Amino acid sequence: MKRILAIVFILIIGFWMAKALDQVPFGEDRMLVGKYYLEHVKEETGAVNAVTAVVVNYRGFDTLGEVTVLFIASTGVAALLWRKKRERTAKTEGSVVLTTGARLLLPFIMLFGAYIFIHGHLTPGGGFPGGATIATAFLFLYLAFTVYEIDHKIFEPLEGLAGVGYVTVGLIGLAIGGYFLFDWIWQTWGIGRENIGRLFSAGFIPIIYTLIGIKVGTELTGIVDNMVKEPEEGGQ
Amino acid sequence: MSVASIIGQALVLFGTFFYVLSSLGLIRMPDVYNRMQTATKSATLGSLGVIIGTGIWAIGEVGSYSWIPKTLIIAVFLLLTNPIAAHALIRAAYKSGVPLWEGSVVDKYKEANYSLEQVEEIGESLEEPSQEVETNE
Repeated sequence: MKRILAIVFILIIGFWMAKALDQVPFGEDRMLVGKYYLEHVKEETGAVNAVTAVVVNYRGFDTLGEVTVLFIASTGVAALLWRKKRERTAKTEGSVVLTTGARLLLPFIMLFGAYIFIHGHLTPGGGFPGGATIATAFLFLYLAFTVYEIDHKIFEPLEGLAGVGYVTVGLIGLAIGGYFLFDWIWQTWGIGRENIGRLFSAGFIPIIYTLIGIKVGTELTGIVDNMVKEPEEGGQ
Repeated sequence: MSVASIIGQALVLFGTFFYVLSSLGLIRMPDVYNRMQTATKSATLGSLGVIIGTGIWAIGEVGSYSWIPKTLIIAVFLLLTNPIAAHALIRAAYKSGVPLWEGSVVDKYKEANYSLEQVEEIGESLEEPSQEVETNE
């Protein structure tokens, strides 16, 4: 009875949404703001990838909010699972194939993650996918080895420093250009104006994405680290 | 139609054929281990064919050589990671006690583990008296 009611309810909601979306034509030129972005993205930000230009440059506040959300998630997991003495839950080591594979593939995964966030203004991706890729490499280590643990003395300060770096870049923009997250490297200094589409262009987008990549990578790794540990037996 | 695009198209077709074979194997095979075997091997080969074929096809069709290194990197990465993933999956399936197909005749892994346990038991029973002797002294 409960299930039938739920299905009927979902069907009504679905019909209602389909009815509303029916009025929106699909595949037609309905861009108002989007057209402005596509036409002005090159001379205003220097980025070839319009998505990263919108995300970092035009609507930088959203990205700052997202980074804050991730930071709060990481801190929340750490606070929920906090114990003084904790050890890994895993008891059996991965097989030889798995450990060797992890050792072999780790640098390549890291390299690829760094490639993604450094080339955010040129290729699809950016700080968040790159950071997630780097966190995947650490997840791989956690899965393959029972004794592996990240160095918390390096990881947590790095995470905080990357976040502080993002805000600092925005504050320098406030000092130079008059508003928060003003792209001072591109607008005021004009660095990289002649090589749009190459690595050294697009103002502060690569810098911010490198910071976001480091931050997201360390944060997700921290979440993984917190979740694969349990309080030591006999401890608290 | 240049030679490169014909080779590329042939490779893509070859890869797609092996994809079909691997999905057929998923339906046809009786237990987890056989299914993993068909799915992993033929899907890896099919992916290699499709990926490298796309790179070669791009040379003939667009005249661009920049696809080849990218596709080669992806292919090598897939070639390295796919067997490791399959190995981990099958090992986990065996350790969690997924039964073999009724038609299988021999399970050497189980026998090896069993004999290993026996060896350890014998070793323990050999060690015990010697310890008693030490305590007696």
